[in-house]
Amino acid sequence: MRAVAQRPLLWIVSLATLIAAYAVVASVLQRPDVIPPASDIVETFRALVAAPPPEGAAPMEGHEGHHHHHSSDQIETLQQERVTLPASLGISTLRVLFGLAVGLPLGILIGLWMGASRRADDYLHPIFVLVRSIPPLALITYIMLWLGHSEAHRLIPIVYAVATTAVIPTYHGVRDVAAKYEVAARSLGAHGSLLWSKVLLPAAGPAVLGGLRYSIALAWMTAVGAEMLMADDGMGNFLVGGGMWASRLQTRSDPAVIIVGILALAAAGWAMDAVARLATARLTRWVR
Amino acid sequence: MPKVRLRRALVALLALIAIYGIAAEIGRGRLPDRIWMGSHYVENVQLLPTFGALAEEGTFLLESRILAESIVASSRRVLIGVLLGSLIGILLGLGTGWAMRFEHLADPWVTLFRFTPALALLPLYVAWFGYGETSKVLLIATGVAVVALLGAHQGVRGVPRAYLDAAASLGAGKRLVFRRIVLPLALPAILASLRIAIALAWVTIVVAELIDAKMPSLGYLLALSGAYPRVPQMLIALATLAALVLVFDFAVLLLHARATRWMKRTAS
Amino acid sequence: MTAPVLEAVDVSYTYPGPTPTKALDGLSLEVKDHEFVALLGPVGCGKTTLLRIFAGFFQPAAGTVRCGGSPIGAPGWQRGYVLQEEAIFPWMTVRENVEFGLLAKGLDAPARRTIGDEMLTLIGLSAFEAAYPKELSAGMSKMVEVARVFATDPSILLLDEPFGALDAQTRTRMQDALAGVWDRLRKTVLFVTHDAEEALYLADRIVVLSPRPGRVKAEFAVDIPRPRSMETRFSAGFLTLKRRIWETT
Repeated sequence: MRAVAQRPLLWIVSLATLIAAYAVVASVLQRPDVIPPASDIVETFRALVAAPPPEGAAPMEGHEGHHHHHSSDQIETLQQERVTLPASLGISTLRVLFGLAVGLPLGILIGLWMGASRRADDYLHPIFVLVRSIPPLALITYIMLWLGHSEAHRLIPIVYAVATTAVIPTYHGVRDVAAKYEVAARSLGAHGSLLWSKVLLPAAGPAVLGGLRYSIALAWMTAVGAEMLMADDGMGNFLVGGGMWASRLQTRSDPAVIIVGILALAAAGWAMDAVARLATARLTRWVR
Repeated sequence: MPKVRLRRALVALLALIAIYGIAAEIGRGRLPDRIWMGSHYVENVQLLPTFGALAEEGTFLLESRILAESIVASSRRVLIGVLLGSLIGILLGLGTGWAMRFEHLADPWVTLFRFTPALALLPLYVAWFGYGETSKVLLIATGVAVVALLGAHQGVRGVPRAYLDAAASLGAGKRLVFRRIVLPLALPAILASLRIAIALAWVTIVVAELIDAKMPSLGYLLALSGAYPRVPQMLIALATLAALVLVFDFAVLLLHARATRWMKRTAS
Repeated sequence: MTAPVLEAVDVSYTYPGPTPTKALDGLSLEVKDHEFVALLGPVGCGKTTLLRIFAGFFQPAAGTVRCGGSPIGAPGWQRGYVLQEEAIFPWMTVRENVEFGLLAKGLDAPARRTIGDEMLTLIGLSAFEAAYPKELSAGMSKMVEVARVFATDPSILLLDEPFGALDAQTRTRMQDALAGVWDRLRKTVLFVTHDAEEALYLADRIVVLSPRPGRVKAEFAVDIPRPRSMETRFSAGFLTLKRRIWETT
């Protein structure tokens, strides 16, 4: 049982090493504008976690005694625009969830159709291959012409990304896995909705769920990208420091803000992935 | 490929082209041609350019070598990023798959990078390495490395026990087992993950190039065509992107086919 | 009297898991040098478990196992083991498979080639030396696995139902092939099967195991002369023994 006990221990040791190594590098390099020390990161987090008081008072309150006062263009811009970390994260999460809610059923339906019908597969598959080769975020420029700077124009690439990644696992789940059982089920007299709900869908289930985690990761990627390019809220905007598209990255980036943002994104991504993993385990308990 | 499949595929593609052509013709008179660009209107924009307009634009881009240079520039960044990233990712993934201790030690790092969308690192890399080639290539490499790591890890872990037991009973030491048993079996999984990594790489480069606007690059071409806007140019840029993704994907598919020459044809 | 080559004394083993299964319960068994012993028993009686313990993959929870008088260590070529599942390496050619154990032993290419040639001739698959396993039938694959294990020249062979997945005719041919090879090389063999006729055809001695948890139920000496053939299967002595075994199980 020693191996089992070793695991969390090593994890903690490794995490501690990660933090310690960072602290060491930060203090050795002595360049707080490139590798911000941990204290700066904590301060930044504090500063951006809640909206500043209405008078727009000094960003850092209650930090007397700190010899190093951390502030930057990016933090100030964000605070001026009343952008906070929780709000940004929340908005991005909503976008991701929307993308999943619309994209997953869409992709799964297309995948089911292509997997179940040879004809549909022959006709649709080539088109699908072409369509999915277009990177979702490249589309955003074209969509903007049709829909302008609207929420829809930011959400469509996310839906597109989720849908295209959901098609393939579903397709294989139906064609490779469920097909085996279809013959047996049909010869037992099953057809129509009974065949689908009791045989084909459960059989294809594990494959579909396997692709879920990947769709989630891509949804986050697309959402953050879309926000970096064309939104004034959400994590993408947070990371790039606010401002219109044309002037992105003109605001001097503050690595501390970015690191805070990355940690928040990683936490959110991990949480969603954990939920997906649990759901998958639950729903596929019967898998050998 | 069986004839029926080929025929249907061609029909589908031709139908797609035909539908577009019809839509473009219909749209010519009817679609709005004034676009609001955030601060002003632009007139005379064809949202669905006709084939004629596309051909015209295409010729211009080819003759002025803009397209060719953009393709070369963007492809080079992707290629270098993919090679660098897959090398690092595969080595690390093989390590974490093979040695439990190493896996536990590397886990927090891997988890952190895994759940950070690669694009989120863009501002950080720009802050560290400035605008230019380095930050873009490193960004792609990071994204690719994460995917390749997971793929290699799965590949190593997925080796059926029966082979490992048989090798042990033949007296094979760890090194031999890794070289002659684990590696050949992990290769298909690694190559499958590379296909995903390539799609990711192209998504990343597009955004990176959109944000850091500099010619030559496909991303900037796309951005520029959106700024004026020149729709035929945009559609051609999008189509070029799609074609490049397909080419890279096909290359990996070929590698995958070669590496799995020995695989049994499953009874169907 | 020399120590038995393989010895199990009062061995017990339980598989861990949500529903622990006791595979072996106080089993004692001896295999002498150059003996061909068949381990006969129904599905789930622990035959594979015992074989894997002898091979060195598991440690018994209770009791001792010994090989040539000393405790059994990690798996190694000295106790050649052919699994029940398919374990021929599909990414290597037939020759590469057969020579793999020799590679592990550190022999150089010419030496490997010589022994490889010998083995391929022994099983009659020289013509297929450059073929990949996907081109072979299931029976041929298994023989390659057997040859692979023979190549390292272990004095002990542990074979786990190698012919279980084959059809009756192929199985008969493979049994003949194995018997022929064994006649020439006279290794010590512990052969697991659930088929009484196979056990009778191949072995010097049959040990019958009880259903789970496995212990020794009965032992039979097979005094039918060698070499054995198709005719042997219909001889009086064979059928008598077969009936006796049938009655025991």
